[in-house]
Amino acid sequence: MKQIKYIAVGAIACVCFLTGCSKTPSPGEIAGYDNGEQYLSIWVHSIEDTPEGQAYRTSVESFNQKFDGVYFADIEFIPRNDNGGGYSDKVNASVLSNSLPDVLTVDGPNIAAYAANGIIQPLAELTEEERGIYLDSILEQGTYNNTLYALGAMESSVGLYYNKAILREAGIEIPPADDPWTFSEFLDILERLKPIMAEKNGYPIDMTFPVGESSIYYFAPFIWSNGGDLISEDGLTADGYFNSAQNVEVMNYFKSIVDNQYMSEAPISNLFESGRAAFKFDGAWEVNTIYTSYPDIELGVAPYIVSDNWDGGKYTPTGSWAFAASSEARDIQGATELVKWMSGVESGLELYEQTKSLPSTYAAYDQISIFTEDENYKALYEQLRDYGHPRPKTPVYPQVSTLFQQTLENVALSGMDAEQELNKSTERINAKLERYVRE
Amino acid sequence: MMKKNTKNSIVGMAFFGPALVLLTIFLFLPMILTVIYSFTDYFALNPDNTHFVGFENFVNIFGDELFTTAFLNTVKFVVIIVPLQCLGALGLALLIHKVAYCKKYFKVAFFVPVVMSLAVVSTLWIQIYSPEGIINSILTAFGIEAQPFIYSAKQALPSIAIMSVWQGVGYQMIIFLGGLQAINPALYEAAEMDHASAWKKFKDITLPELKPLCVFVFITVTIGAFRMIVQPMVMTGGGPSSSTYTLVYDIYETGTVNWEIGLASAMAVVFVIFVVILTIVQNLLTKDKGEKK
Repeated sequence: MKQIKYIAVGAIACVCFLTGCSKTPSPGEIAGYDNGEQYLSIWVHSIEDTPEGQAYRTSVESFNQKFDGVYFADIEFIPRNDNGGGYSDKVNASVLSNSLPDVLTVDGPNIAAYAANGIIQPLAELTEEERGIYLDSILEQGTYNNTLYALGAMESSVGLYYNKAILREAGIEIPPADDPWTFSEFLDILERLKPIMAEKNGYPIDMTFPVGESSIYYFAPFIWSNGGDLISEDGLTADGYFNSAQNVEVMNYFKSIVDNQYMSEAPISNLFESGRAAFKFDGAWEVNTIYTSYPDIELGVAPYIVSDNWDGGKYTPTGSWAFAASSEARDIQGATELVKWMSGVESGLELYEQTKSLPSTYAAYDQISIFTEDENYKALYEQLRDYGHPRPKTPVYPQVSTLFQQTLENVALSGMDAEQELNKSTERINAKLERYVRE
Repeated sequence: MMKKNTKNSIVGMAFFGPALVLLTIFLFLPMILTVIYSFTDYFALNPDNTHFVGFENFVNIFGDELFTTAFLNTVKFVVIIVPLQCLGALGLALLIHKVAYCKKYFKVAFFVPVVMSLAVVSTLWIQIYSPEGIINSILTAFGIEAQPFIYSAKQALPSIAIMSVWQGVGYQMIIFLGGLQAINPALYEAAEMDHASAWKKFKDITLPELKPLCVFVFITVTIGAFRMIVQPMVMTGGGPSSSTYTLVYDIYETGTVNWEIGLASAMAVVFVIFVVILTIVQNLLTKDKGEKK
């Protein structure tokens, strides 16, 4: 097997030779990198000329200023396409040729896979005070096998948005955050809205089950609030979790929404934004979109709906890109410093300024007035703070995500049997997990 | 003095060498590696832990329901698109050949989609096929119920196939048009003296003269259709319910999204073998017919 690796490494070396890749530079070669400083390379999944890229650049510069004479961080921008290619291809190739940087960004749901395969290493010990600045959901996301691997500079959330004017017309009141609508209450509400929305040539809810990460991100909370899960605690088996009776209920719940025509089977663009839907599930960015592009819509954020059996536990969507130390980082203290800095309050504020993404630290929320003054942003923050739940932690996360969407689509839209579909997916996930169970 | 032969080969190598090096690195080596990887459990995130697994990947592939679905979808796509695109191209070429006015306009109009990127065309057709898109608006105007098109498991694949024909047909049309213009007019004149009907002229002159081109178009369209990935990736993500999930898409997902390079390599090998066999069969079939005539 060794030979194959050598051939591949040789090939990559040739490519590097042709394209001019280089390893660790010496002091003086790069502006700002002085003698006596520890060199730290960092990769981010972004293009430099974007607001996000600019925010990372600013954070690295301030890190270099703060740790002048001790560390020097050198940032490299690696574009990532919508399908996740580009950046992850580069990471994979570098795993093969042992040329990972000291610090790299990892998408939240991939942390488990990267940790389980030894691409990232545990961060150096953080004090209680240092840990305390981060939202629970950030620490939870970065932890695999009870060890902290990654810290995010941004968080994310999904809101159940509603059109105030329409709900007023229907005489529907929004419940408080600790007593959300249950599945059955929500069905009643959709039923009440149906004739009103039909008049507006629309649907009670603007909802789709898109291919990609959105489906599991938006709709896994239905599973969690129903007491179900997608994978075991250790992330190594799906049997009894992915195909549990609770999940069958949830899948059939989605089917009932489709069957009763509370949503359009084929996605209609801008249904909610054009005032033809009363509700919509979407990322936190939707607030900004509505405020800037659809000022006529009276936007509200309702608490994410819960199962009738909800026990008050955490269940709402979270997760975003995080910084981690690669297994090749020799100075883990330095790498951890850089991770802490890049995910810290100042970097979070910078990212919010540039991209309007939700920060990852309590202090950042306190400093941004919009999270206390604007009711919608406030609701999203409080939902994230009080009820945020990370996506499944398993080395086969990509399969879990894909199969969740496929099962959802097969059951809700194509009318296949929920139990059968969930069982089939469970089998597939377990087959992919064999590699980890065997070892 | 160097021998002339030696000198010639050095000069030859100087021209040929750079291309050979690049081809080796970016084409031949990856091809060889793919074959080698197909017998391993190579996992992108953990390359150190790679073992030879013999034919395990191939056994897994043929037991994999999703791969079978992807394979059948691809075959369905090919079955729809090959006749449509080949006949469509021939039809358009014949029409344009006959048209006396605005010949250039029609040529350009039918060829423009070929120049556009498939990703752009796909994005455009998402709008055209959308529930409130232009096609559904027209259907509704005629009192026909709006269709889900790419959002239904039944219609998605044919919808994508039709779009692909529209996008690709211009290219084959130009090839046929070139062939038509190269046919000796004397043949038609002779036929006219014998009072041959238009159909007879087409069947006994045009078609036989175009035969080599037909074979070429037939094979290239087939191979092109087998490679389909962009349209479902952009338009449907392989859905609904995997109805537009194709072979190449499966290879891509397995290798880059799920990181299973070994398995993906095995899929690629199976795919290549299949296409090669198919091409040989096509070649034999078309050759036989020609010889019988």
